[in-house]
Formats: sequence, C-alpha cells, structure tokens
Amino acid sequence: MTLTRKSLLISLSFLITACGSISNERASDASAVSASASGAYSDQGITSSNVLYFAYDKSDVNSEGRAKIRNLAKIINKEGLNVRIEGHCDERGTREYNLALGESRAKTVAELLVINGVSSSKISTVSYGEEKPAASGSNENSWSQNRRALIKTF
Amino acid sequence: MNALKGLILILLFVSSQSSLSQLRIEITGGAEDPINIAVVPIDWKLEFPQEEYLHEIIKKDLESFGEFKVLPPEGMLSFPSTEEEVFYRDWRLLNVDYLVVGHANKSEIEGELKISYFIFDIARERVIHKAILSGSIKSIRRVAHNMSDKIYKKVQGIPGIFSTRLAYIDKPSLDDKNYNLRISDIDGFNGISLFSSPQPIMSPNWSPLGDRMAYVSFEEGTSRIFIQTISTGTRSGIKLEKGINSSPNWSPKGDKLAAVLSKEGNPDIFLYDLKRESWSQITEHFGIDTEPDWSPNGKSLLFTSNRSGSPQIYQVNVRSKRVKRLTFEGTYNARARYSPDGKSIVFVHRRDGVFHIATQKIKSGKVRILTDTSLDESPTISPNGNVVIYATKRKDEDILAGITIDGKTKFILPSLRGEVREPAWSPILD
Repeated sequence: MTLTRKSLLISLSFLITACGSISNERASDASAVSASASGAYSDQGITSSNVLYFAYDKSDVNSEGRAKIRNLAKIINKEGLNVRIEGHCDERGTREYNLALGESRAKTVAELLVINGVSSSKISTVSYGEEKPAASGSNENSWSQNRRALIKTF
Repeated sequence: MNALKGLILILLFVSSQSSLSQLRIEITGGAEDPINIAVVPIDWKLEFPQEEYLHEIIKKDLESFGEFKVLPPEGMLSFPSTEEEVFYRDWRLLNVDYLVVGHANKSEIEGELKISYFIFDIARERVIHKAILSGSIKSIRRVAHNMSDKIYKKVQGIPGIFSTRLAYIDKPSLDDKNYNLRISDIDGFNGISLFSSPQPIMSPNWSPLGDRMAYVSFEEGTSRIFIQTISTGTRSGIKLEKGINSSPNWSPKGDKLAAVLSKEGNPDIFLYDLKRESWSQITEHFGIDTEPDWSPNGKSLLFTSNRSGSPQIYQVNVRSKRVKRLTFEGTYNARARYSPDGKSIVFVHRRDGVFHIATQKIKSGKVRILTDTSLDESPTISPNGNVVIYATKRKDEDILAGITIDGKTKFILPSLRGEVREPAWSPILD
C-alpha cells in the first residue's frame, strides 16, 4: 500500500469517527383535511323494532325468542313487510371478532324467519358488532342488554 | 443570552396550544435506569420570539417513554450553541451522557428556518452527529420532533417515533353525536377529525407511506371499506360485497388490502387488489376467520380463527395458502399484529376471564402478558417496535394506554374530548 493511499484511508476513517460531515435534514409539514358522511343511513321508514337477547359468545335463540319470531313472521307475511335484522354484541372480545359474532346472530334470526315462511328476498342482515351498544357500562347488566338482535320492519 | 430571555417568554406562550390537544401522554410508571441527556435551549437568531421552545418539545419527546432523563436549563452550568463552545467537563460534572446544542437562523426560503445542531457523546468527548435541519416556522413542533427522532436514532441505534401520528376513533358524546376518525401527532397535538359520520367507524389502518387511511364505515347502513387520502380528504368506498366488509390491512408494498368478507356465508380472509379492483380468497373455513395483518416481508398474514373451537391466532402463507396455528395458551387469543422485525406478535389474550395485551415470540410460542389493565384490546406497535398503544377502560370509560415492549414504562393517553378507542400507529413519516 502506498503512503498516499494509507494516509487517505487514515483521514477517511478520521472523518467517519469524528463525524466531520454535516448532514442536511428536512422536517416535512403534515397536513390533513376533514371529510364527513353525506346522506348517511338512518332508521327513517322503519315501522317496528323487536329485540331478542343472546348468551355470551352464543348466537342461538332461546324458546322465548323462537316464539317471538313465529309471531313476527305471521305479521310480516300478512302485511307484506320487509325486514332488516341487526346483530349486536357486548364489548368483551375484539371488535372485528364481535362483528363476525353479530353477523352470526343476525343470520340465525334470518334463518328462523325463513323457516317460519318469510321469503329470504324480504330479509337483509347487518352486523354492528359492539359498535352500537344499547347500554353503557362494563358490567353484566349492560352486557346482557347489548347482546341482541333487532328485527326492524318497513 | 437569548435562551435565558426566552425562558421568561415561555410563561407567555406555554400551554396555549396544549389545551387544544386531544390526547396527552401521562407516564404512570417509568424505567429505572434512564439515559441522561442535556438539551441546551437552542440559540434563536430570528427576529421574532419563538412561540414554542424547541428544547421543551424535545425534552417532552425524549421523556415520553421513560428511556431518557432530560436535564432542564436550570441545572446547566453553561449554554453553548456551537461546537466550539462546549466544554466536556461541565457536562461530566452534571452526569450527562449526551448533550445537544444548536442555533436557529432564518432560511433563504420564506417562512422557513434552519437549525444547526450537534449531538455530543460526553464520555467519549466527541460529536456523534452534526446537521442542518430545515423546516417550516409554522410547523415548529414537527421540526422539534424531527430533531428528537435524530437524537433518539444516534443514541439508541433505532429510529425515533416522535414524528409519527396516531389514528383513533371517538365515541359519540353529548358534544358531538357523530363517530369521528381522528389523527393527531403521537404527543397528542394537532388533532384533526379525518372523517365524521352519524354511523359507526371501525378499524383504521395506515397505508405503508402514511399518506392514506383505510377504514370501515357504516354510513350506507352496512359495513364498507373506504380509503381516504389524508392530505386532501378525498375518499371512496372499495368494491362492496354482500355481508361483512371489514378489517382492512395494507400490504407492505401498498398494492393490496387484506380484509374480511362474509359473502360466502361466513367471514374469511380475502385480498383486494387496489389496481385491478378485484377480490381473491385466502382462507376458506366454515368458522370465523378475521383480523388479518401482513407480515413485514409481505409473504404471510396473521389472522384470528375459531376453527379449533375458540379464537386463536393463525398464520397463512399468501401464496401456498397453507395455515399454521401460532397460539396454544388460553382460550381467547385474537387481533394479532406482527412486530416490525416479523419475529414476534402482539395480541389480545384472555387469562382468568380478563383481557390483556400479550406478546409471543413466533418460534418459541411462549406468551408474556404485557398489561395489568383489563378489557384491553386493539394493540398497535410503534414502527420501531419499542412501544405498544392499546385501548382499555378506566372507570368504565374507553381510554388509550401504552407500554414499552420491555414492560418497564407504562403510560396513559387521556383524551380531553371524551372516550376514544382503536388506536392505529402510523408508519415513520418522511
């Protein structure tokens, strides 16, 4: 290795260790613009809303609920109504998992309506998971009111 | 010197902005052994006073997660602002490990400033970083956060996260009957509502560049995934399918979203190709498959499934679609997120009926519970892998809290507005 190369290497390493170079840095501006929902869904046009309750982490309907669905099915068929079924959960468990659980509650109710003679073309289902609780509070009293399906007719 | 004059002016300007902030970091437990650092008030050579002090913002940043103890100006023996003015013994006497000094000047560009600053390693008696940082005078907080990030990187060897942002969802309150998707700086300042709706909003997820947000909105009376450009507010719904449309999660390249659809009758994991605007199916099982998260290398996805009878975390290879179960401890493991190195996962774990945030090395499978709060959910990991923010309850109220991955520092982010949930940490924003 020649002397000049050696000294170049030494001075290079000196530069690195001494951090002789000045870096140029830039702080970027961060801007954000708001948006809002226009013409969002509302319950306008819904004429009745019936509620069924569920056990924790379950989507099966008890005998009381089945009787309620039988009666409702008769009215729905007689009056030619459309049905929107909303499935809801309590706050325990993760939000997306609860969205799936709420759907299985809504679908169980839909199947029972179909069994009782309601045309599936008249039924729509939606899950809100734990996003629209009926009662606030982290206790069994609130939770039992939130594990529900709403059968809305229009 | 200027900095001392400045200290008096502080009284006039301090906290005028903090009262507007929506989230605030409040440390509830700290690391035992912080690094000592001194940040000398930046010598301000502009013709108008600073409205917010750079060294104060930097101090707050560095102390946020308990890793640093920042020496206040009152304890300093001298106030250097250039490399030549630094006497190492002054700082050794004060037990300082690192020192930051600098001066701010007007830039040639209108509305901008330039800060020349130096970071010193006191024990080794040398400069470990010198830089000229430029930025907008109006965004002085961002300039300070940027400096904090550089200091953090030079001292800790991993990226700082003080310029990152947090997205979260506001619950409707008496003041505002709408659901709001908000973002703010990670220290709670500069909060803004990105999207507001009378119907629920869920599952915010940042694009890999941090310029767009995917989320679920119920504004059409059913769940639908929307993508919004943050800087313009422009938004559009992606192709809607029957049933659940939810849990969007950007691929590391930004070209696809993993998401959940129940169009086949039950929730499964799908990919949405943003360019072709089409869906393809990844998992196929009669149980619930949900909550996908891309691995940092883009090869696999984490997801939650109850196919074994209770919710557990699984990993699926995107190409082969081969599924592997990852969690075996307990009967409720869900909503997992990969650490940035892809070697660990952070998830919701139920033990003795209580929901905690836990972490597990993928290979060893050993679970370590991180949090001692209850009803914990929605963990989100800082882009440097060091900190987890999650949603929890305090006195029946939805709040956000955080913990460092080593478990040493705990903090809460109390909201000044009301109840908040579903935190989502932005990537590092350049």
